[in-house]
Amino acid sequence: MQHKFVQISGLALSVAYAALIVWIYATEPRTFREMATGAQVAAGTYQVDQAKFDAGLALFRREQFRAARDEWQRADPAQNDGRTQFYIAYAFYREGWGRVYNDDNLFRQGLEKVNRAIGLRPEPLNIDDPDLQIHTAAELKAELEQGTERSWGDVNPLKVLRTRK
Amino acid sequence: MNEKLTVATNRLRNQALLSFVVLPMILLTVVLLGGLRVNAEGGALVFIPPPLVTLVLAVLLLLLFVRGGLIQPRTWVAHHHSPLTNSSHILTLIALFFASAQAFNSVLPERGLLHWLFSFFFLWTLWNNQFSLFDARRLLRSLMVLFGTAFVLKHMLVAGLYAPEGGWLKRLAGTLLQGVSLGTLDAPTFSPATGYISFFTLVLYITGLLLITFSGEQITDGKQHLALTPASELEVVNRESENHEAGIVNRT
Repeated sequence: MQHKFVQISGLALSVAYAALIVWIYATEPRTFREMATGAQVAAGTYQVDQAKFDAGLALFRREQFRAARDEWQRADPAQNDGRTQFYIAYAFYREGWGRVYNDDNLFRQGLEKVNRAIGLRPEPLNIDDPDLQIHTAAELKAELEQGTERSWGDVNPLKVLRTRK
Repeated sequence: MNEKLTVATNRLRNQALLSFVVLPMILLTVVLLGGLRVNAEGGALVFIPPPLVTLVLAVLLLLLFVRGGLIQPRTWVAHHHSPLTNSSHILTLIALFFASAQAFNSVLPERGLLHWLFSFFFLWTLWNNQFSLFDARRLLRSLMVLFGTAFVLKHMLVAGLYAPEGGWLKRLAGTLLQGVSLGTLDAPTFSPATGYISFFTLVLYITGLLLITFSGEQITDGKQHLALTPASELEVVNRESENHEAGIVNRT
């Protein structure tokens, strides 16, 4: 009986340990903290640091976009929260938007983040924030894509009349 | 009789613990640590999965284990074992395969000409050994030397050659190879902790192999192991052990 118990527990331990190794090599954490965060995500207990998220939001509203992004990145180190990733993308959009021309580099980074936000949720991401003019990830994605595309519309002088969302 | 029974029961328990818990854990730890490097800048962890060539080397090494008698596949997996025992042994064999691949990964330079030079020498040695006469102990000694040499070459000589601050070997190579570019011998630089991890990994791997060697015939399920001693005696041991345990439960 005891022999069987040792066998079963050995087998279970080995399978669990092997799964952990596969997971570590698949996710390639760079630090032990990242490993712990990854484990929280895998276990479904991961949560965004709300205080840091709120601090980021306050900075965003004061148009301190770079600082806001830093706070949000610290609030969501695993980059696993769709809402936070949406806000980071929005910060890239607002910082990169220009009346005459947009900053392509910032827009591309924003596009990367909004794609991540979309990929994190099976259902459409909708942000109910009255301070924003774009409320869905799909709209933000379209806006960022439009900003990076080259067209004849770019030389239209009336372009300077458009407004930032 | 009672003392004999206790000795036999303890031996069974220890063997079961060794074969089904300790050995797989050791081999899996080798799998985990074999690809781990610590970056010289910032100390970030880098996990390098086993390159394809290490899988080929591991296959050759496993063949060598079978030829040298370190592993006896028919004893490990057989139709007269329980499915649980067979599953445990198959898992241990898989762990041994990946541990071997990761042990090679641990002592192979990560890229460049040195990676291919080391791989070639490993392949050459293992291929030659396929046609030599080996017993388990000689094979183990040969492997210790092989991995020890590769460890010294990679983590002491090559690491010294590419150390950012420049060691004595770098200065010596600079003098000897004046005008010759070391670009083709490109190798990434890792923190000294990588060498310690690799050393620990290799020690664990050799320990695992030693455990397999010394418990070779006994890595079978309990009942099969008992067949090595007179069956009637062990049946009595088993029955008395159960009665003994039942007695303890009744008393409590």
